[in-house]
Amino acid sequence: MKSVKFLALGASIALAACSQPAATDGDSARVVNVYSARHYSSDDAIYAAFTEQTGITVNLVTANGDQLIERVRADGERSPADVIITVDAARLHRAEEAGLFAQSDFGELAASIPANLIDPQGYWVSLAKRARVIAYSNTRVQPAEIGTYEDLADPRWQGRICVRSSGNAYNQSLLASIVARSGEAAAEAWAQGVVDNMARAPQGGDTTQLEGIAAGECDLAIVNHYYYALMVNSDEPARQAAAAGVSLLFPNQDSAGAHINVSGAGVAANAPHPDEARALIEFFFSPDAQRMFAEMTNEIPVIADTAWANPTLEAMLPFVEDERNVSELGDHNATAQRIFDRVGWQ
Amino acid sequence: MAAAARLNRFRGWLPGRTLSLAVLAATLCAAPVLAVAWIALTGETGDYLRHLAGTRLPTYLATSAAVALIAAAGSGLIGTGLGWLMARTDFFGRRTLGWVLILPLAVPAYVAAYAWLDLSHAGGPLQAMTGGLFPTIRGSWGAGLMFALVLYPYVYLLARNAFAAQSADAYNAARTLGAGPLHAFWRTSLPMARPAIAAGLALVVMESLADYGTVSHLGAPTLSIGLIRAWSGAGSLVDAARLSLVLVLVAIFIFGLERAQRSRARNINAAGRHKPAPRLPLTGLTALAAFLACLLPLLLGMIIPLGRLGWLALRTEAASGLAAASLHSLTLAGVTALIAAALGLGTAYALRSRTTIAILAARAAGLGYAVPGAVAAVGVIALLSGTQALIDPAWRALTGEVFPILLTSTGAALVLAYLSRFAAAAISPAETALARVTPSLDGAARTLGATPRRRVWQIHWPLIAAGVTSAGLLVFVEVLKELPATMILRPFNYDTLAIIAHNFASDERLGEAALPSLLIPLVALLPMIFVARYLSRQDR
Repeated sequence: MKSVKFLALGASIALAACSQPAATDGDSARVVNVYSARHYSSDDAIYAAFTEQTGITVNLVTANGDQLIERVRADGERSPADVIITVDAARLHRAEEAGLFAQSDFGELAASIPANLIDPQGYWVSLAKRARVIAYSNTRVQPAEIGTYEDLADPRWQGRICVRSSGNAYNQSLLASIVARSGEAAAEAWAQGVVDNMARAPQGGDTTQLEGIAAGECDLAIVNHYYYALMVNSDEPARQAAAAGVSLLFPNQDSAGAHINVSGAGVAANAPHPDEARALIEFFFSPDAQRMFAEMTNEIPVIADTAWANPTLEAMLPFVEDERNVSELGDHNATAQRIFDRVGWQ
Repeated sequence: MAAAARLNRFRGWLPGRTLSLAVLAATLCAAPVLAVAWIALTGETGDYLRHLAGTRLPTYLATSAAVALIAAAGSGLIGTGLGWLMARTDFFGRRTLGWVLILPLAVPAYVAAYAWLDLSHAGGPLQAMTGGLFPTIRGSWGAGLMFALVLYPYVYLLARNAFAAQSADAYNAARTLGAGPLHAFWRTSLPMARPAIAAGLALVVMESLADYGTVSHLGAPTLSIGLIRAWSGAGSLVDAARLSLVLVLVAIFIFGLERAQRSRARNINAAGRHKPAPRLPLTGLTALAAFLACLLPLLLGMIIPLGRLGWLALRTEAASGLAAASLHSLTLAGVTALIAAALGLGTAYALRSRTTIAILAARAAGLGYAVPGAVAAVGVIALLSGTQALIDPAWRALTGEVFPILLTSTGAALVLAYLSRFAAAAISPAETALARVTPSLDGAARTLGATPRRRVWQIHWPLIAAGVTSAGLLVFVEVLKELPATMILRPFNYDTLAIIAHNFASDERLGEAALPSLLIPLVALLPMIFVARYLSRQDR
């Protein structure tokens, strides 16, 4: 009997400890609960501007996209999530398939955002773009030698390419775009070619690959454009020097266009504050927020006529981008991963 | 009959209520792992695992084995050597070094990995200094090395306590019989400390296998990379859970080996009856050599990587919110450490009752250590949302609504996740410490009429204080640097130092990652100083 009492006591203590209510809203304080895979500290500035303009407080949890999806899914109808943000179109697709998003027509926004950046079913919308491009050594590579992703598989580059692991979502989406464009067999042949051309086993992030070129370990690298921008704008002389020896090439400019991926957001299906959620998503497309994406994280705004000042990013634009709907990256993600496994892209 | 008699002999150790409470707590810690097993065993079966077996699985397994072996060899060598130096010799700076040597444990392995790759990559400062001779820290050996350098304190702490507790008799006998100091150490001191060293190594190996950040950055595709890929790439949480069961099996095997060590050593590990051996005073060159031997792992595991980050930090604007994050880290780690120390002690006592249920609960609780944090957190989420689903119907019948409290994303959920992950780090040291309280010692106290309470406080506690506080400290430091479970379960607007450090480091913005990374060991210093002081008072 005693142990039963103890059990009951323990349980009630545990419940008391747990009884932090799920972020509730009074009438006076409007809040929006954001689950974001964007971990950039500069996003705080965007949320601060939003709060200042609307009086809505932003509650934020950041984590890896798959973890956020699992948390929202498990919490079900009790989930406090209002807005879910990820940094990879394939993750948006997965959240959509898990039924986590509410459908929307995105109202007037839909007219100002390119159609390929909005989910065809209207579950999510892209906030900002990032291009996955080819970086090359200024001294050992002539720009005329290479022009497309497909060129990376050419044996002439044997032992000359640096690229990060295929566990990385950006690599998966790049391969998914090739699957979408050329089919699974061609994509596998391409991935095999790149593996054969690797200068070293994949290690580090995109910055490590750029440094690999600067150090002479490799001549080409596959990176997201903003890592190069970060390096150019770095306060550290060593990184600036490394960036000076490297240039970016936006591939497939005469054909399909450079592969782009997106940060995207949708309103959660069980959002307790759907109005505030929509207000935040609309705010992401305001000139202010779009400008901050360009100026603080070197991302490319999705609203074409946004005014911003960032010479490093400006030097990269404009370029021809792959206009296939980014939601297709999600369709082919699993295929891409299996190809990576088969060709031994670590 | 014999079992019943044994049970009776031990029953006096612990009131039955406390026993059931300890068993309950251990079961609670094991629950998330059981939830993962449930997900693995009941989920849909696709062909992903077959695909994996035909492609990457052999690589994952081989890399895991290599990383674990290198980590174990390195940390075993460093930890045992330093533990012996600290416990059995005396030289300049020993007292301070005694607890400073624990600090590398507070450096998250991935932080060390980011800093070392940054230092040693082609064209980096180390290669420039050595004319390209310095090897780039990467791959299986690089990751194993990182783990050895930041995880050796596990072995060190446990080995030091074991060496300190040894009576000098066996060692002296060996010396009298003509064995040199090294030979005598090898034949007497080391075998007696083996259970403690094995307990430390088991923790090192499990943590290396469960790690994700370090191996993914250095390009060492271990099984935990495979299971995170199953989850993130193939979208199959079920297959990720299945692969993590492989790690659980490995853990069962390793903890089994460790148990075997311990039971073999039970008869020789007598303590309390004899005065411990006097410290060997080191002077001159030997003292200097000992001092340098202590400094080297500190340099490689902490001072150089954090120094590199600090140097980069000077060139970067400090991240905001660090004060709040420090407070959050301190709170979470402090609360969890206290609970874990009590849990470890309670479970260790419960284990002495030798009841099957206690043994099962304690062993199951330890398994969480083998599961990568991200998957363990999924176990916690599954458990809590399952609990909610159980409460809901009753609550709906009463009030007409769903149960209003969200069990996930509370501090309590986080603490449960931590306990589930790190119970092994709490139970193992407590159990090793309690092994010093031999049945004969206890019997003597009972014969002399000591009440159970008096036995615990006046006889047990002085013998086990070091082990139990070490357990609390280990868990404290583990929680400080824990990443995946914290990320997925934390409440809104609740950053910890590890999260801020990781957010920057994962973008290779090491300058911004530096300050939070430096703060983690600084925060860890607070309880370490307290524990070091407390233990040196105990020593007197």
